[in-house]
Amino acid sequence: MKRVVLLLLLLILLPFAKAESTHSWEHEFENGYITTQPLLVEDSVFVRTSGFWIGDERPQVSAFEITSGDELWTYRSDTTLQHDMSPLMFVGSGDGVCGSWQDILIVAWADGKVTALNPSNGELVWEQQTEVNVIGITGQLGIDEDRVVVPTRQGLSTFCLEDGEQLLRVDFEEIGWRNGVLISESGYHVGTEAGVLYSVSRDGAVSNSSIGDGKIRHAPIETQHGLLIHLQTATGSTLYLNNSIIGNYGYSPAIPLQYEGRVFLATSNEWVSLSCDDITCFEESKSSFHSNGEMSMRILENNSVEIWVPSNTPDGGWGVFNRTSLQRMHTTSFDTYTTAAPGFSPVAMALGNDMGLLHVTLFGSEESPETPSSFSLIEAFHYVLLLSSYLLCCLFFATNNKPKLWKALTLFLLLFTVAAVPEMSAKWPTFAESEVEATWDTEWPEEWRDTQIVVIEIDGKENVIGGLNGYSNVYELTQAASASLGITTDYEDQYLGLYLLSFNGTEGDGWEFTLDGSRSNTGIVDTAIDSDSILRWRPA
Amino acid sequence: MLSGLGTHGPQVSSLGLLAINSILFASAIWLLMRPNNHHKGWLWSLFLLAIIASGSRILLSGLPNIMPVTILVIMVGSKYGLQRSIAFVILVTVSSNAVLGDGWWTLFQVLAWSSVAGVSAVFSVHNNQGNLSMKRLSFAAVWSVPLFSMIVSLSILDGSMSSLEFVLYLFNGIPFDALHMMGNIFFAVWCGVWFEQILSLQTPSQQRIVREDQHVSIV
Repeated sequence: MKRVVLLLLLLILLPFAKAESTHSWEHEFENGYITTQPLLVEDSVFVRTSGFWIGDERPQVSAFEITSGDELWTYRSDTTLQHDMSPLMFVGSGDGVCGSWQDILIVAWADGKVTALNPSNGELVWEQQTEVNVIGITGQLGIDEDRVVVPTRQGLSTFCLEDGEQLLRVDFEEIGWRNGVLISESGYHVGTEAGVLYSVSRDGAVSNSSIGDGKIRHAPIETQHGLLIHLQTATGSTLYLNNSIIGNYGYSPAIPLQYEGRVFLATSNEWVSLSCDDITCFEESKSSFHSNGEMSMRILENNSVEIWVPSNTPDGGWGVFNRTSLQRMHTTSFDTYTTAAPGFSPVAMALGNDMGLLHVTLFGSEESPETPSSFSLIEAFHYVLLLSSYLLCCLFFATNNKPKLWKALTLFLLLFTVAAVPEMSAKWPTFAESEVEATWDTEWPEEWRDTQIVVIEIDGKENVIGGLNGYSNVYELTQAASASLGITTDYEDQYLGLYLLSFNGTEGDGWEFTLDGSRSNTGIVDTAIDSDSILRWRPA
Repeated sequence: MLSGLGTHGPQVSSLGLLAINSILFASAIWLLMRPNNHHKGWLWSLFLLAIIASGSRILLSGLPNIMPVTILVIMVGSKYGLQRSIAFVILVTVSSNAVLGDGWWTLFQVLAWSSVAGVSAVFSVHNNQGNLSMKRLSFAAVWSVPLFSMIVSLSILDGSMSSLEFVLYLFNGIPFDALHMMGNIFFAVWCGVWFEQILSLQTPSQQRIVREDQHVSIV
């Protein structure tokens, strides 16, 4: 009987759970991830999904009733491509020179389409097509009075909010990616993948200037000292203010956020608070943090401000900062890699993550986001057991009861090892990493140079795709590549993390990957990748 | 039979797996049938322990390397010798891998545990009187891990892996070896006596006594 109880105790250790908080409701999208901020408008929550879809599935925009979570409508694009990363834009009714319009939800798609939807029923109001160069629109739109300003793949267009009539069109020489548009008094400002900043006046005059050797993947920030640009470079990122370098930071910068006299930045290494005074903008504080997507702001009742920053790490969660430092981590039961900013309204908060989970919390309920819970019954039980075994060790040592001391000690050490190994196994290989040259294939297109490339060997045939950008770990890159290649994937969540079971339903003896020609001994979510990594999957 | 090379060695076709498992199973039967032991009670002990080992390996598969199999292999090897323990290893490995996943590595697991059994048959965890020595068993719980780990890791070798990569692979497995070691010691301390009782089931009950130190001895 004693052994049976022991076995049961061990089995209880199996389903380790992360700290979690309560919530009002959640919805799981089975065909994609959420990489842009959900919008909360009156009684509705609008959210869009992005890549990782397969077969007949497609990205979608859905509306939910904010209190109940009931789905109000869903609009699917049958023609879009992977990586729909342009944030949704809600525009309230109004009128202008080009016409008058009702409330509309504007959605820009990776196949270059711009659609205006009726937010109450999801019906199409108007639609326009912009150019596609491998992919279409991925940047944030802007509103300029009566028109929507669209940073397209290789140019900029404006459309009348009433009927979608094209009012302006200019072409750029370089392509853009997640290149949102800044609307200023002088016109529109958009960056490109070549580090060139384009400025377009409202009458269509175009000027450009090269900022630096890198990529501009956000809308420039307008300050009293000129435009602020966080340039993504091969060695990290560089911060430019009015074309002058004012700082160097980590890899894959997030989209900066401006609030009053401050600008908040984030990279894979840090979160930064810049302060702009009469003379210049300068770094006031910096905290260690990993974030690569969007940030958002919440104004509290006492007029203090919270900056919510998604943690793009396996543990996920959201860092909640004040103007200068991290105040707390907000966690949920489904935390994982996250790049989408939380959406806020006076009554609720909506969180979305890379697993395609939408999680909405209503304020005023006892499930306030300001009281994050970190309680897990299983985890607590594990630690109680650990502590109990330690106390028993002390007791038996004090009473000189060696046989029982030995038993208690082995139980304690086993529980301790079980708790320590997952984290240890992720860090351990870094002690013995070796640099191996990437395995570039001369037959690949030159455009794939310095981009992320994936090779999947199935039944002896190589399925290759390159030109991918912006993925931070093997899991994300594999999903994006297999979706683009039309290859299905299956995963299993195991003790040590996510495990790839099959490609196209083929499990074989398992699958293993090499990264830049070298085997990795960390899991797919723990293995970070560079902007020019070559990932190769093959049967084990 | 071998349909390609992978990082776990050759990918084995279904037919190949069937053949390998059949050969292994036949080998186990042959090893059990050889009339080298006049006591017949051991067979039921061995089957019972094989069921316990296989079942617990499956149940605890979510916790990598925590299972009583290695300790049982050591005790069976020490008690019944190399021949029976290899049969025991084959039964446990083949039956549990039927649930957990079968492949080329099954051969290496059999080889690795058989090696552990072989060493424990020579360096017994039982003393001269046939009593289980907890000190020896605890020591065996430790030395068995690198031996097992080294042999079972050979399954990943293929033409593309350098010796440096193999060493790195072994190095990166150390945390899991530590887990294996702690699991072995845990099962040795908590279940060793119980396993020994099962191993000694063939002995007439009137000949079994339990010493004050909780170790079973046979007189």
